[in-house]
Amino acid sequence: MGATGTSTADRTLNILAGIARTEEVRRNLDLDLFKFHLLDSLGMVQLMVALSEEFGIEVSPSEIGREDWATPRKIIAYMESRAGV
Amino acid sequence: MNILERIDSLGRRVPEKVAHVSGPSTLTYGTLLYRSNALAAQIAGMLPDDGSPVVVLGHKECEMLVAFLSVIKSGHPYAPVDAFLPPQRVARIRDTSGSQLTLTPEYVSRLPDIQAAPPRRQAKPSDPYYIMFTSGSTGDPKGVVITFGCLEDFLVWMLAEQRMAEGQEVFLNQAPFSFDLSIMDLYLSLLTGGTLFSVTSQDIANPRQLYQKLAAAQLTIWVSTPSFARLCLAERRFNAEMLPRLRLFLFCGETLPPEVAAVLLDRFPAAEVWNTYGPTEATVAMTSVRIDRQMIEHYPSLPIGFPKPRTLALVMDEAGWPVAPGERGEIVIAGPNVSPGYLGRPDLTARSFFKLDGQQAYRTGDWGRYRDGLLFFEGRKDSQIKLHGYRIEIGDIEANLRALPGVRDATVVPEGKDGSYDSLTAYLIMADRPSGSDFEVSCTIREQLAERLPAYMLPRKFCFRQSFPMTTNGKVDRRSLVDST
Repeated sequence: MGATGTSTADRTLNILAGIARTEEVRRNLDLDLFKFHLLDSLGMVQLMVALSEEFGIEVSPSEIGREDWATPRKIIAYMESRAGV
Repeated sequence: MNILERIDSLGRRVPEKVAHVSGPSTLTYGTLLYRSNALAAQIAGMLPDDGSPVVVLGHKECEMLVAFLSVIKSGHPYAPVDAFLPPQRVARIRDTSGSQLTLTPEYVSRLPDIQAAPPRRQAKPSDPYYIMFTSGSTGDPKGVVITFGCLEDFLVWMLAEQRMAEGQEVFLNQAPFSFDLSIMDLYLSLLTGGTLFSVTSQDIANPRQLYQKLAAAQLTIWVSTPSFARLCLAERRFNAEMLPRLRLFLFCGETLPPEVAAVLLDRFPAAEVWNTYGPTEATVAMTSVRIDRQMIEHYPSLPIGFPKPRTLALVMDEAGWPVAPGERGEIVIAGPNVSPGYLGRPDLTARSFFKLDGQQAYRTGDWGRYRDGLLFFEGRKDSQIKLHGYRIEIGDIEANLRALPGVRDATVVPEGKDGSYDSLTAYLIMADRPSGSDFEVSCTIREQLAERLPAYMLPRKFCFRQSFPMTTNGKVDRRSLVDST
């Protein structure tokens, strides 16, 4: 739990919405981020860096496959497993 | 220097040496020699000896190298086109180039296994070697003609400036062959008997796989856009331990951010970092400078360097006079590396190319300034941008958006900070708006646009407007358009 009381999911979505530049990522957690061009390779790395800073943990590009991070739901699940919710 | 002779001689001297690694495939200098000879003989039999360009359509396959050299040996220039371009765009390039033949990796791999002597012909320095297609402001790609003379001049300079160990180097090939940055790694590698190691779009889409391959590649010379290095640096293990043989970074294609250079020097203490600059019209690059810590501390934005020998890089005012030292002006390049112009477009050629004291000269449209004898890049005069190293005319995207059904008008704005862009936003006025949420309509439009433009030119965000704010001189007021969001 962050000091602000927001959940890991909310904090992840805030960052994702900023990088994908659409609120649609909150409305549809199963949105295919790559298919809809909301993330590309550089965007994915940007997201990893931003999440690393937000949660104070290392999110390492060499450990994540594209398919592991294809939707908002998958990214949230990953961050919850890492941040211990 | 005779480029082809030098590469061919490696095929005879070190036929088993690996020239190219791409995905699971490798190509030796011996195979490159005899396959390109056979294909050259075939092409010469198929096409009239008219110097018409041959489109080579593919990605990073080993067959691409065979195709490039065989086209040259057959007496034609090649136009490299990436297979990820939508078919419509490829067709436009084919029409513009007047190409009568398109080679693909599949075509090359089906070539019968025969020995054949290539046609005997002596190229003149003024003969076109390759045609590089780049974004045009009216929505049509334009082909930059690079001659044997241009390419040789560029390569002679690079080989003299960067000491490369014959037969010892492994070069990173990051840029697609349709982007002229790849000319730097491809030909420096082939001329020094090195190995070219390609990262494919599949590798780039899959960071995990990318780092595994980079670690295994034994790279010695890194050639990429700064954006790609930045992407790799996101992984903390990307350092001298992962790439122990790496000794030289060569950057081109876009502004090198000081923080990227600084982190590279930290992580690779034994390696040199070089910044280079040049438009496609002046053959890949024509200024260079080694970036060290002192320079990073001293200059908030890094210099693009000193002009190469035999080439002038002048900073000129609107009237075409050199500005006073330290003043800003347009960078104008004159020398043997400057292209004769755009293929089949005398109108566009006349606008940007001219003769300066008998030398071919090109107005870059780039703002520049000399400080301490070093040239600095200070942005664009027009609306051309670099996005992740790709050269894009904003007008090209707008023209293609306006051509879509239902779109009345379109304005595209690059997004980013500190003059470095990371995505595009399109503002649209719809004549009739399809039903659905803004997001759904955006997706439909993006899909339609993807049939006309390469993926790197597609806007990430679409905003819908009833009208565009105008400036007093009747142009779209891009600033208030963005502020209204």
